[in-house]
Amino acid sequence: MKEAEQASPCQIFDRGELLARVENDCELLGDIITIFKEDFPSHLHDLREAVKARDGKSVAIAAHTLKGMLSNLAAAQAASSVARLEQMGCQGDSQGFDEAFAAFEDDASKVIPLLEACMAEECR
Amino acid sequence: MPVRILIADDEAMSRRLLQKTLERAGYQVCTAENGRQAADILCSLDGPKLALLDWMMPLLNGPGVCREVRKAKEQSYIYMVLLTSKEAKEDIVAGLESGADDYLVKPFDTAELKARLRTGLRILDLEDRLVEAREDMRFKASHDTLTTLWNRGVILELMGQELSRSHRENATTVVVLCDLDHFKAVNDSFGHLVGDEVLRETAKRLLASVRSYDFVGRYGGEEFLVVLNNCDPAFAFARAEEIRNTIAQRPVKTSGGPVSVTISLGLLLSHEWATRSVEELLHEADKALYGAKEAGRNCVKLAKPKAAASVSEYRVREPVKQRR
Repeated sequence: MKEAEQASPCQIFDRGELLARVENDCELLGDIITIFKEDFPSHLHDLREAVKARDGKSVAIAAHTLKGMLSNLAAAQAASSVARLEQMGCQGDSQGFDEAFAAFEDDASKVIPLLEACMAEECR
Repeated sequence: MPVRILIADDEAMSRRLLQKTLERAGYQVCTAENGRQAADILCSLDGPKLALLDWMMPLLNGPGVCREVRKAKEQSYIYMVLLTSKEAKEDIVAGLESGADDYLVKPFDTAELKARLRTGLRILDLEDRLVEAREDMRFKASHDTLTTLWNRGVILELMGQELSRSHRENATTVVVLCDLDHFKAVNDSFGHLVGDEVLRETAKRLLASVRSYDFVGRYGGEEFLVVLNNCDPAFAFARAEEIRNTIAQRPVKTSGGPVSVTISLGLLLSHEWATRSVEELLHEADKALYGAKEAGRNCVKLAKPKAAASVSEYRVREPVKQRR
């Protein structure tokens, strides 16, 4: 990806929004980041398998769950790219699945390090 | 006492986030991981009256839960808020049509979430007050305001039902018509407020002197009707004597000082009267009561049957004349 197209950390993850959502509660912040780190791989796996199988309905379901999790974490960019997959799944538009999934994986991979950094800084 | 709320969401992170947010806001939270579980909890007898339901859930979706709850619950209202990432107008309309009261778009804003739940609490509070007012009206429609005993209409209904039942079961219902002696003199000497206190205390003592499944009602001004269900005839007179004694044994403490009162009783045993109407039996009990008054008051007289035409069932007609 070219430098100019890269999203800023703020676009990837809005720390202020997340902290407002947990009402600055470090314990809760830790809880939801832990749950995300535990659950994310299996949901990603479900989505990958559904994409491979060109199963629009399953793509939509798995993408919807991931969208909810990422939205709660204020990870707007990854939430938006997985929302695109959800929409494609709902419409049965499997042609763009691979490209959209790759874009989502790329966006999602940036989220966890930022969450961990947030956790480390806010809850020292 | 904290308000109980159900959070139904299949996604653990969202559940945890909502749970902690609402617990911090003072709610007592229970959770469900799918729609089926949510519907079962909300339809249970002691389920929470407030619910946050995710739209998309396994087994039953949020609107499905709303439909099921609305179908099952008629007694008590449950305020349900759908959580959805669906923002299309037709989705929102469908959600509200399913019986949801409100919806919130995910990811939720904490302040908005709390404000919308407060709206729900106001609706539930309003419902509580309406139910309370209805129950109050029901009570007033069936009870005597001064003594809180059954009122005249209800005690006659109950007497009719008991007479029918005892006839079917070949048992005895004992009817006791009671009248405070010289009550007019109490009112004249001490005033009507003291008279009311005497009536209230009399009612209390009458209730205390019968079993929990017997009936006591205010029949008229200072007249009371006691219905002793399934009573052994051998003990009927003794029971009536106990009632008489409970009034006469000690003066009533009133704001005007202690007031001594006695009571006269007309006693009737249903099995001796075949299937006579409520009106006829009351007339006979009234005659026995008159006998007690004639005999010097503060005593019990038993109604004695003569040959009488029977009727097919006990019916409540216009009661006998107001007396004494």
